[in-house]
Amino acid sequence: MDNFVYFFTFQDLSILYVVIGIILLGIGSAYVGTYSFLDKKALLGDAISHAVLPGICLGFILAGEKNPVYIVTGAFISGGIATFLTSWLKKNTKLSEDAIIASILSVFFGFGIVLLTVIQKSGNPEMAGLNHFIFGNAIAILEEDLWIYGGLAVIIILSLTIFQKEFSLLVFNSDYGKAIGYPMEIIRFAFNVLMILSVVIGIQAIGVVLMAALLITPGAAARFWTDNLSKLLLLAALFAVVSGIAGTYISFVLPQMPTGPWVVVSLSFIALISFLFAPKKGTITRYFSRNQYLKKTNNEHLLKALYKNRELGQRMLTIENIYELYPYQKKEIKHSIEFLFKEGLILKNQNFISLTDYGIHEAKRVVRLHRLWETYLTEYMNIAPDHVHDSAEKLEHIITPELEAQLEKRLNFPQLDPHQENIPRD
Amino acid sequence: MIIQAESPVLEIHDMTVSYDQSPVLWNIDFTLPSGQLIGILGPNGAGKSTLIKAIMGLVNPTGGYVKVFDKPLEEVRSRISYVPQRESVDWNFPASVLDVVMMGTYGKLGLFKRPGKREKEVALASLDQVGMSAFINRQISELSGGQQQRVFIARALAQDADLYLMDEPFAGVDIATEAAIFELLKKMALEGKTVVVVHHDIYSAMTYFDWMIMLNLHLVASGPKNQVVTEELLRKTYGGKLNLLSKVSELVRKQDFNPLEH
Repeated sequence: MDNFVYFFTFQDLSILYVVIGIILLGIGSAYVGTYSFLDKKALLGDAISHAVLPGICLGFILAGEKNPVYIVTGAFISGGIATFLTSWLKKNTKLSEDAIIASILSVFFGFGIVLLTVIQKSGNPEMAGLNHFIFGNAIAILEEDLWIYGGLAVIIILSLTIFQKEFSLLVFNSDYGKAIGYPMEIIRFAFNVLMILSVVIGIQAIGVVLMAALLITPGAAARFWTDNLSKLLLLAALFAVVSGIAGTYISFVLPQMPTGPWVVVSLSFIALISFLFAPKKGTITRYFSRNQYLKKTNNEHLLKALYKNRELGQRMLTIENIYELYPYQKKEIKHSIEFLFKEGLILKNQNFISLTDYGIHEAKRVVRLHRLWETYLTEYMNIAPDHVHDSAEKLEHIITPELEAQLEKRLNFPQLDPHQENIPRD
Repeated sequence: MIIQAESPVLEIHDMTVSYDQSPVLWNIDFTLPSGQLIGILGPNGAGKSTLIKAIMGLVNPTGGYVKVFDKPLEEVRSRISYVPQRESVDWNFPASVLDVVMMGTYGKLGLFKRPGKREKEVALASLDQVGMSAFINRQISELSGGQQQRVFIARALAQDADLYLMDEPFAGVDIATEAAIFELLKKMALEGKTVVVVHHDIYSAMTYFDWMIMLNLHLVASGPKNQVVTEELLRKTYGGKLNLLSKVSELVRKQDFNPLEH
């Protein structure tokens, strides 16, 4: 708890720097990543982030120390070469894009590990923190690093904000952009530069191995919640910032803990929540609304059964009679009886069930929709009367009052359905 | 049979286009008149879309040139409006109908500037013309094929051009919508705009268009429909690929490089 207060009250100026850095990094990489996710180029981000390792090592060898300018420049150049090679190979060979990306990723990363081993064998006393570039350590960010990483992040955020219209044109319909005279090749190039930059600024805090997660996961998680590009970008940024701070805090409390993995763990948690619970698109949300719907159909089927019995002159049914009608749905029917009773649609008298006036009204509505739809299918679609029942059995639960009015008008308020049964109205 | 237009809006001079080293258009050479509804006809794989893309500079010809309004393409881009094939974009992109139609104003707006009130008005007016006013805030992923097509046409209208190039705007569209779009195109032609449409159905093409371009890897015919739509030219257009031309294409493909490129 003391740690928590100490961390979040920013009494230590270096913690403030780290948090500012992580916030800028989170927003920048979430913005870039969201576009590349929408562009279906998620794998490219992974390749670039692995491919910057040899550049980091060469930068270190040339500078002889952990100089951020050398390291950022080295990382940028090596990421740039990887990006260029990817598109060059795609254009000039018949290899598929996934094969190219996998090879680029492993070749560059392998070479980077070789260089890293060479540095470690050299006995340079400055090499101590170099391992941080693999899995990241946000706590090691210094004020001088912040100027470079933070500055680059601000450039990324500003470019993507100012050129939102150009970059969405690039992702949605690049050919059209070219047709109206926009320099789409330059815009594509600028986007690639921003993507490499966003990887480069993440190497210190998140590390090359997991940087791709900070690029792609925020956008992918946010996509469950919104269909609006601006909201999508903001939400992705929020997810990235929250996970970034969470990861940094854990690195602060447990000094041996790398930041990257914890950022990824909290991001994955947010993604999982989105996947399960987002309105409309979440798996669990959808499961519940389907369940809700199935209950509604059971209730309405029971009302219908009671009403049809009334048509035959029987005002009530025993619970056993009802169970016989639905022998495989005993449990569901039991629930329906309780629900309809609570809602005042049916009366229970010992073992006998009958409709209330309100129940009759509702039952008539369902039966009417069923029979109207059957009439429509036979009259307008020439479907045989013995083939229309199944479809009506499903649609009676979803036809809206507006559609009902249209059906009535189109069919001119028919009295009888194709089976010569009365279409009930109040 | 190739009939040249007087004071043409579009001139294509001896243009050859190849894709991935296989020639898809051979020595195309024609001119188009202004203020008419023009249909591009031909079987699948005849190079109809490629022709439109080559006019827009989206694919580079290996020979020949295109002139629009008697000028090189780059000088007059703002006067040409392009409707790409509906399938060429991912409709799951997070955008509303209005967002997409606003793109039509980007050409005049240029880089840096953001669309504002005026652009929105233009987009709304265009949506009204295609009868999509009720769908302004609808997500594009929720539209039917015909509605997506109308959104693309509205976007082209928002550009307020003089020459319209439309790639299969009637694909996946129901008959009522097709008739409505066609009425709109006819109105545009009456206002002096030139509308070029890639179309697949010869029967409806006969009622829709004034001028026809008939294509089958090479240019079979170009001219007023009464003069060029003859049984013989139709057979040439739709009666299978020319044997010799296919063989030469095959030969070009087998080379280690593209011999048509300079």
